[in-house]
This record gives sequence, structure tokens and C-alpha cells, in this order.
Amino acid sequence: MRYEIRVAGAMSDTMLDEGFPELESFVIASQTVLVGPIVDEAHLYGLLARFQLLGLRVTELRQLPE
Amino acid sequence: MTGRPGHPAGALRRAAAPRADPALAGRLGVPPVPATFVRRARLADRLARGVREHPLVLVDGPAGAGKTLLVCDWLRTSPPPHPAAWLTVEAEDNSPAVFWHDVGQALHRAGALPRAVGAARRAAPAGRPPRHLATGLGLRRDPVVVVLDEFERITDPEVATGLDHLLRHCGGMLRLVLVSRNEPLLPLHRYRAADEITEIRAADLAFSEEESSALLTRHGLALSGPDVRVLTGRTEGWAAGLRLWALAAARSPDCGRYLKEFEAGHSTIADFLLAEVLDTQPAGTRDLLLRTSILDRIHPALADALTGSRDAERILDELARANAFVTPLNGPWYRQHPLFAEILRVHLRARHPGLPPELHLAAARWLQRAGLLDEALRHAVAADRWDLAAAWFAGGPAVDQFFSSTGPGRSAALFDAMPAGLEGPCAELIRAARALAAGDCAAGTAHLDRAAAGLTAAEDDAPARLTAAVLRLVAARLTGSAPGAVEAARTADRLRRTVPADPGREHQVLPVRLFTDLAAVRLWSGDPGAARAALLAAVAEAPGAEHPERYEPLGLLALVELLGGAVGPAERRARQALAEAGTWEAEGTGRAAIAHLVLAWIALERGDPAVVRSHARRVPAAEAGAVTGGAVDGGAGDNGVVDSAAGHGGAGESGAVDGGAPVVGSGPGGDPLRIVLGAVVRARFALRNGDPRRALALLAAAEHPGAAGEPSPWARGLIAPVAAEALVAAGAAGAAVGLLPAGQARSPELALATARARFAAGDRGAAARALPRTPAGPPATVTRILLLKAEAGAADGDERTAAHLLTRALATARPDRLRGPFLEAGPWLAAFLRRRPDLTADHGWLPEPLRRRAAPVPGPAEDAPPVEPLSRREREVLERVAQLMSTQEVAADLQLSVNTVKTHLKSINRKLCTSRRTEAVRRARRLHLL
Repeated sequence: MRYEIRVAGAMSDTMLDEGFPELESFVIASQTVLVGPIVDEAHLYGLLARFQLLGLRVTELRQLPE
Repeated sequence: MTGRPGHPAGALRRAAAPRADPALAGRLGVPPVPATFVRRARLADRLARGVREHPLVLVDGPAGAGKTLLVCDWLRTSPPPHPAAWLTVEAEDNSPAVFWHDVGQALHRAGALPRAVGAARRAAPAGRPPRHLATGLGLRRDPVVVVLDEFERITDPEVATGLDHLLRHCGGMLRLVLVSRNEPLLPLHRYRAADEITEIRAADLAFSEEESSALLTRHGLALSGPDVRVLTGRTEGWAAGLRLWALAAARSPDCGRYLKEFEAGHSTIADFLLAEVLDTQPAGTRDLLLRTSILDRIHPALADALTGSRDAERILDELARANAFVTPLNGPWYRQHPLFAEILRVHLRARHPGLPPELHLAAARWLQRAGLLDEALRHAVAADRWDLAAAWFAGGPAVDQFFSSTGPGRSAALFDAMPAGLEGPCAELIRAARALAAGDCAAGTAHLDRAAAGLTAAEDDAPARLTAAVLRLVAARLTGSAPGAVEAARTADRLRRTVPADPGREHQVLPVRLFTDLAAVRLWSGDPGAARAALLAAVAEAPGAEHPERYEPLGLLALVELLGGAVGPAERRARQALAEAGTWEAEGTGRAAIAHLVLAWIALERGDPAVVRSHARRVPAAEAGAVTGGAVDGGAGDNGVVDSAAGHGGAGESGAVDGGAPVVGSGPGGDPLRIVLGAVVRARFALRNGDPRRALALLAAAEHPGAAGEPSPWARGLIAPVAAEALVAAGAAGAAVGLLPAGQARSPELALATARARFAAGDRGAAARALPRTPAGPPATVTRILLLKAEAGAADGDERTAAHLLTRALATARPDRLRGPFLEAGPWLAAFLRRRPDLTADHGWLPEPLRRRAAPVPGPAEDAPPVEPLSRREREVLERVAQLMSTQEVAADLQLSVNTVKTHLKSINRKLCTSRRTEAVRRARRLHLL
């Protein structure tokens, strides 16, 4: 499964590299878009928890077609 | 990085002396509110009203929204007129056992439970809150407020279900405030529908412009109205964002320009601002913040150990005063705001990639030397140093955590994840402990042998050798090996004097466990005197009812008393044991089983089947070692005969067991002592209910109790008389005679059994010879011997002797109200007493049927034919019952339903004026109906 997750605001490189090393990312119009493979649901929820722990607001979450 | 300034133990001593769980104590206090806090009346009022009007208040918002401070400030400045308990939830609480223990501690600390309600350490089964919490709360006159902070860590639905249950079953005496980032798993819709919840959510927690302005003023910043509006809009009123901005702006030369830049930027707020603030900190402060981000709580000396400096105390104090990143906890401890710590850890990894494991290791070493083992172990594991974790755990006085009556401790669970490849004696000891705790004696012994090969006689290895000896003793108890137990106990006792006890533990568990395990083996090997001495020593090592390990030796003492014939003291000890076990929520565990079985036995001797059942039901199934279906578990009526057959089955059929609680310290094996005792009590109960086949099956299942290969002489001495009696009842008196040892019986019970078998086989002379002239022993046995002699006398037509013996039997049984022997005595006794009502005139305690006087309407004339003849079907049923077929077997044989067979049995009993199937068979034989 590949997911695309959008977070409000531009995340710093430090945060992207160390906080979410498994995802690719780019920044557009005051949003950070993270894209990457999600192993399973546990991974997905773990990821969401990580966003929350780091004070990041998820604005969009969708599964990408294979 | 070890051996840093200030020995940790010394540094800690300045704090409050660590009690049972110093880390927990730190989570039970209401955290302090910083000077920069802005009280927001709209929220405080809502919170106060919510607690007044609703059982549940949910404060629900993102990290850094000011949830915790809102509740802290409310409790500190306008507390409710009720006691308030606080618990900051941590990851380990995400399991019912730990969660309810910690909640119980919080309630106790708040003085919210009556003193009599002990501090339980173990949850009731199935995630329910411990019973004493609901009861304790229900006894209150006014409600108690319970705040659970950081409740988002609870994801176990069982915990949420338990909380919901507690809210609904405490008589409205609980006001729960949940502070969480996520919606808790409680059924919130129901609370909403019933108007039982107040919710303060993210939108409510967001700062308004006025509130933002007040906050900035606290930080010494004066912004214009429009600027405040801009900042509030950009941060969306998020408290952490506002605070971080204030900290960053305070160091910026031009506050207004800084705001413009911030507004124009699009960066994520906390991430960006935290990096900004961090970079403006002095190097020492920055380093300290990054390095201590791995800690759950920060001690200045521990921080020094991580930074290699000596100024942590000053820096932490300054940071706390400025309300930047850290807040003070109780004593000298601090903690980082969880949101900031999380972001700081990301920065730590980015800036110093190899450092986190090193820091964890340094923290682990410091905490271990400070005696904070649980926290030390967590960091050792985080540093991937399982070798150290194993050495500290097995080489310390902590390994009894596995065998604590209150369940494995926090750290025992940590070792579930220990890599299988880890070598060394300490790792083997931990594996042995896990195996033995699960009742797997063979695996445990194998690991112990491997550990022993790696241990040296050096003094450094003394703690590990102590652990090994303790585990050897546990293994010896499981196998019932007396020499092994004595040797292990000696070694352990010698070593424990050289190894300092864990100062952090409130109760010293080890000596109590040593004496208890030793006593159990002593009793098993047939030395009740030595067992008794060891048990008294165990109790002496555990002064006071609040010692968590005392109930097991008390239960075993009760057993020793009972087998010695002291029914009253046995009953008192057993009741005390259960009362103390109840305090620790351990009544349903294997260790409390002995006390339950003692009380079941006593109830059996007193002829009180309901009490027998209620205790037998509390003995965990795994301990029974055999079927517990039918009469014991079915809760059938008192004429259990007919019903008991429903659960009739062979040995090893475990499907009928009741839902016993998970058993601590027992598994496939289990304590042989408990297995044998359980089987004997249940078999005797089956016999009393006229089901000798079941009794024999139960006893057969105890032939190889647990890890012990063979029953001990002690066990055989208990089993043989009951087995013989069962064979006699089953009409196989010859087999019974063969079962018992020839020659002079070693115990009065065996003598009685031999005599009874001979008597039943028709050899009255041999029966008389088997019995001692003046019977001695436990009163129940003496009573039975006297009754048998009386029966023999009556059968010989010597009415005078019989009456004399009967009088003595009654006098013997009277003090302890031992009705059992009389209920078992058979029809001759009822007939005899009907002729001699004078004998029972003074014995109001005897059960009705035996006391009935020769009244105008006598009982069924013994051998008068039934008023109503048996039907063909009833005769068929009775014939099969006489062949000792079970209800199911009769049903199958006659192609009837079980219920139909039961109905037939009931009408047979009615027509023959009997109450039990065996009685019916006997009577039918006498009447030549069979």
C-alpha cells in the first residue's frame, strides 16, 4: 500500500529526515506532502501517532492506486 | 560517562526516601503550574461545572493545547469539595493489571478509599476493575475526583471497558476527568446521549485573542491588537505555538519584525519554533535539552551524568522558571513537555546520530546505581544492552518479581522481548524463572543447569547464585523433592545474608517465599512438624496483614492444623489467609487455593455442601488437576446426586472446569500439594454425593501431580483412604482391601479405611482388629472410627455398646460441629437413632433427619415396600444406576434424553422415599426390587 499524507505547514528537513525517514516528501503551498509505502495498518496508525506526538496536523490522508 | 559527579544514591537521598515505587509516586501528584500560566475562567468554570454535574469530563485536544495545566490549575486554585486523585498515565499502564494497580495507588494517596480497603496490586480477572475499588468507592458518602492525564497512552480496550464499568458501578461516587490527545475508547456516544459527559475539546482549548494577549504579557511581550490577532491566527490559538513564539521572540531584537517573518512563513509551527528557540539557547542548555530528551523524568545528577557537566541543576531551574521546555516534578525531578521532548529527540538523532544508545546506556547505569531498577532496565533495553539488563535483573533481588503473589512485576514483562540468542548465566536464570513461573519444571531446570555452569564462586556472582538457589527451591517445590528443597533453601538463606536487600521495596519478599516454599516441600514429604516450623518462620518474616506474601503461608498453616485435627485454628488461619489474599486481589489465584480447599474440607466435615461448592469454585481450574464438573461447579441443588451425574466424566476431561482465574505460578504442572489436596477434597465431595466413580476418577487424575512423578507418602496417605472408601461405596470392598497397605496402619485414617473395607467385605473380625482400641487422631477420624465400631456393635445386636460408642462419637464431633461423619454413616444410624432419640437430645447441631424423634408419623418404615410401585422405565433406570452408570450413560443406553433420565431418578427417589441415588439403590436392593 502506498499512502499520501498531507501535513499543514512546511516541515523542516531535520523533522522529515529523522522523524519520517521512510517517506519521501515535498513541500507545496504551505503543505508538506509525504508519500511512501505503508507496510500494514499498524504502520499506518503508528505513523499517525508520530505526527500527533510531534505536534503536526494531518490535513489529508489517502491511499494511492498501485 | 559513568561515575559522574554526585553519587546517584546520595543525590536521591535528598529526595523523599523512595518507597515501593518511586517512579509511580512521581506520577501521583498534581503537577505544578508555572507562573506564566494564563487562567481562563471560561474553561475553569466549565471544568468545575462538568465535575459537579457529570460523571465523566473529557479534556481532549492536541499536544501542547494546555490540557494538563488547565486541570492542574483548577485543582490547585479552586479544588472541588471532594478528594481528588491524580495519575499521569505511562506506557506500562496500558495493561489492566498495571493500570488498576496504579489507579488504586492514586486513590489511596488521595485518601479516597476506606483504610480497610487494601492497596491491591493485581486486577480482577477479565479487565474488570478490582472489586475493592468499586466497593470502596460505593461506600463513600461524597464523590471522588480521579484525573487520568495522558490517557491517550491507553489503547487497551479492556482498560477502557473496566473504567466504563467502574463509572457505572460505583454508585455515582466517581467523577472521572480524562485528559487525552485522542478520544478514549469508552462508549462516549452513550454518555453523550444520557447527558453524562462534559467535553472540553481542541476548539475550546484554543486561545482567544484576549487570552493570547494575556499569555504574551506573562512572557514580558507587549503586542498591539492587530499583531495579537495575526499571531493567534497563525498559531490557531495553539498554546504550545504561542509559548514557543514568545520564547523565540523574547530573544529576537525586533519583536514586530519577527512576527512578520513568522506570519509570512509557512513552516509547521512547533517544529520550526522549537528549532528557533533551541538555537538561541546557550550551548550548555541546548546540549542538556537534547540529551535529556531520552528520559521520562530528569534528575539534575542524572542530567549531569548525560552531559558530563555539573550545571544541570542550575539550568533546569532556570528553564523551569522561564517555563521553557521543562516543568518541575516532585522533589528534585523535572520532566520535559512531552511534545517538546518528542521533537527534541528528532533533533538529537539528526545532530548526534550515534548518541542515543550511548545516552540510554549512561542513564541505565546511573538509574541502576540509584536503585531505580525498573527505569534502569528500560534504558538498558533501549540501548540494546540485554546482557546488562539480564545481569541487573537476575543478579539482583528482583527476580522474585516472577513469583510474587501479586503477579509478575513491570520489569518481568520487559523480558518477554529478550533475544533468544542472548547467552550467559543471568539470561539463563531469567529464562528459568519464566519457565518455572509458567509451571514448566523441566525447561526451568534445564535453564538452571545451564546457568549454574556459568556461575562462579566469586563474590560478584553471589546475587546471581542467590537467584539460582531461589529458583532451585521453586523447582523443588514443583517436583516435591525434599532433599533438593532443603539444599536450595540452605544455599539461599546463606547467600541472602550477603546480598543487600533491594531498598526500594516496601516488603521484603524473599525470606517469606523461601520459608513458604520450603514448608510446602516439607509437608509434601511427610514432615508436618518441620513444615509448621518453616511456616511460622515465614509468617514471622512477614509482619502485618499488609505484607503481600503472607496469605500463602497462612493457608498452608491452616492445612497443617486441619490435618493435625485442629479444625478451629485451621478455619481461623484459612479465613485470615483469604482475607489477606482478598486485600491483594489474589483470592482467585493458585496460591490462595490451599485456604479455599481447607475451608471446603471443613465444610465437608460439617455437612455444608453450599459452602463446599462456594470454596471449590474459587480454586483455579488448572490447580484442580482433574475434572471439576457436576456437583461442585454446576451449582446444582443440594440433592446433588441426580445432578452431579450430569457432569460425570473420566479423568482428564477438563472441559467441565469453571472459568478459573489465570493462575500465578502454575501452568501445565502446578504445585503438586494443591493438586492432590484439590483432588481429595473434590473426591470426598463426590463420595458424599453418592458418586464413587467420579471420586475414583478425580483421585486417579492426581496420581501424577504436576511435575512430581509420584505422590509422596503424604499424598498417598491422603488419597488411599478416600480411594478405598470410594471402592467400598462402589461395591468393590475386596478391591478396597487390596488397595490398602497390609499390617499395622500408619495413620488412623488408614486404619479406619482398612476396617471399613473389611467390614464391607463381611469380615467383622478383621475390621475390629484393624481399629485401635482407643482411637486417637483428628476428631473427624475419631468420630468415624467410633461410628464404625458402633455400627459393628449394632450389627452384632449389642445395642448397649453401640449406644455408648455413639454417645462418644457425638461428644467428639460436637465441638467442631462435625456433621459429615454422621451423614456418611448410612441408614443404620438413622434407624438406630430413631429407636434411641435420647442419644441426640442434647445435640441440636445434628442435621434434621438424624435428630427426628420417634414421632407419630415416622419416617419411611425402613423396609416397607414403596407405596407407589416403580414403573418399568424407572426400574430400568435404577438397574443401570446400580451398575454405576452415569446419567449420560443411562440416557445413551436407554435412548432417552438426559433430562428424562433425571426425571425418572427424581420420581424413583420420591417413590422410595430416598434423597440420593445410592440410597435409592441400597433401598431397592433391600426391597428386592433389583
